Amino acid sequence: MKKLVVYLLVGIIAFIAVFPIAWTVLGSFKDLRDLVSPVPKFVFKPTLANYAAVFAREGIRRGLQNSIIVTLSALTLGVVLGVPAAYAVSKMPARAKQQLQFFPLSLRFLPPVAIAIPFITLWLDVGWYDTHLALIITYLLISVSTIMWLSMAPFESIPISCQEAAKLDGCSYTQVFLRISLPLALPNLTGGFVFAFILIWNELLLALSLTSTNVTLPVSVAAIAAIGKELPWGMVNAAAITLLIPPLILVRFLGRSMSSAFFGS
Amino acid sequence: MIERKAAILFMIPALVVLIGISVVPTVRAVKMSFENRELRYQTQQYVGLENYRKLFSDRRFLNSVRVSALWELVTVGSTIPLAMLLAFFLFEYVPVGARRMMQIILILPVVVPRVSAAYIWRYIYSPIVGIVEYVLRILHAQPIAVLSDPQAALLAVSVVDVWQWATLFSIIFLGVLQSLPPGPLEAARVDGARNWQVHRYIVLPSIVSPLVSLTLVKMVESLRSFDLIYIMTEGGPGIVTETLDLYAYTTGIGLEGRVSYASSMAVLMLLGTLVTFGGVWTLSQRWRSS
Repeated sequence: MKKLVVYLLVGIIAFIAVFPIAWTVLGSFKDLRDLVSPVPKFVFKPTLANYAAVFAREGIRRGLQNSIIVTLSALTLGVVLGVPAAYAVSKMPARAKQQLQFFPLSLRFLPPVAIAIPFITLWLDVGWYDTHLALIITYLLISVSTIMWLSMAPFESIPISCQEAAKLDGCSYTQVFLRISLPLALPNLTGGFVFAFILIWNELLLALSLTSTNVTLPVSVAAIAAIGKELPWGMVNAAAITLLIPPLILVRFLGRSMSSAFFGS
Repeated sequence: MIERKAAILFMIPALVVLIGISVVPTVRAVKMSFENRELRYQTQQYVGLENYRKLFSDRRFLNSVRVSALWELVTVGSTIPLAMLLAFFLFEYVPVGARRMMQIILILPVVVPRVSAAYIWRYIYSPIVGIVEYVLRILHAQPIAVLSDPQAALLAVSVVDVWQWATLFSIIFLGVLQSLPPGPLEAARVDGARNWQVHRYIVLPSIVSPLVSLTLVKMVESLRSFDLIYIMTEGGPGIVTETLDLYAYTTGIGLEGRVSYASSMAVLMLLGTLVTFGGVWTLSQRWRSS
């Protein structure tokens, strides 16, 4: 009896977490008649017309393309800059390490609107407003700090002995990093990369502020809201799901990075 | 010595980039907040504390501070207790196998882009095609358009925030509970302590520190209400859901383009975040070292 109640509760909790997403997925395959049906329909004849309508919009296609370019560039630069820095910090004495850890983490919590406002005038003044470059540089704030912060623990967990042995064999600092530490830590580093990808892919406010024609996908999906009071639900659902697919696929690679992102790992 | 040089070379590029893209805009925001720059004009002048003075007699600003405070109270105040309740339930009653499955399910809401989450819930709340409306109709209750109701709008949006964060935080709390040493718990049970006594006197004191730091993290995180509110209500009806970041966006970036005025709000938000965040870090360090 008690077991039954427990499983019932587990079911309800799982339902609350998943139903909103699943319901929108269903809605994205419904035609207008099934959408406005007075009794919600769980069984219906699916249509791809909504996705066709989404991708027929020039803004969405551009947004998707720009999102891919900007997110992957910011992520790559974040890895190139953040991972070696995390390695160096992880080998420092405890006190210095603590100070250096605080810095990238604190940047993760800056209010985006407070960053967006000065950056608009900055990019306008240098003439880079509405370019990929400006957005990528701005997003380095997210990618470098997140990757640097989440890469420290994986390096700390590598046994010192491997690295010492390599050093005795005459490997330099860079060689130890490239041949020993990086390959050993890599499986645990990917969670942090995925986390940074999701943060940038999902970001709205900075992209909305720093672009006008070179918009990203969240901006062009958000633009649908301006169309009218009651939305074209089929298309809106399809757009929301399109935006949501990459993070949903990547979620299983997050590993422990999600909880380490908020405090000590 | 060579090693030290190499270590510095490894760090310099990242630190230069991070310092550059955080200090430059911060200094710029402070500088602009003492000027009267607007996006549509080419020139600006130094006006001293004028913007800050105006802020405190701007009723719409004061409203947004009040809305933000309410938003903080509602989202933080429901996320943390709900997450704890969920974590205790999973830890106490759910067998390990099902618990693992729940950990996978409960992480889903938070990775949903906020733009998508806003639409997902606007679809649910829709007065015409929404499923909430349907349920209310079956129950013969008066259907309401929650998002255009001044009493309910902010609450309805905060449900989305809590849906995303309470689920994630429950997994983090669960991790904390699972990492507690089982010894003291068992000893207390053997001594005949009741379940609530074990929780009250043994579990609770040992999770106070992560609890406090997660609460502060959520407070900072809750300052980012922009995406949800921008898409779900645009601050409406009227200005009842207009939070600080939405108002700063509307004045500084949206139609008005009064960047200097918005900068003064940005500066105040930065100060608030820094103070809160300093608290988070100090506490979580104390927790780790103890």
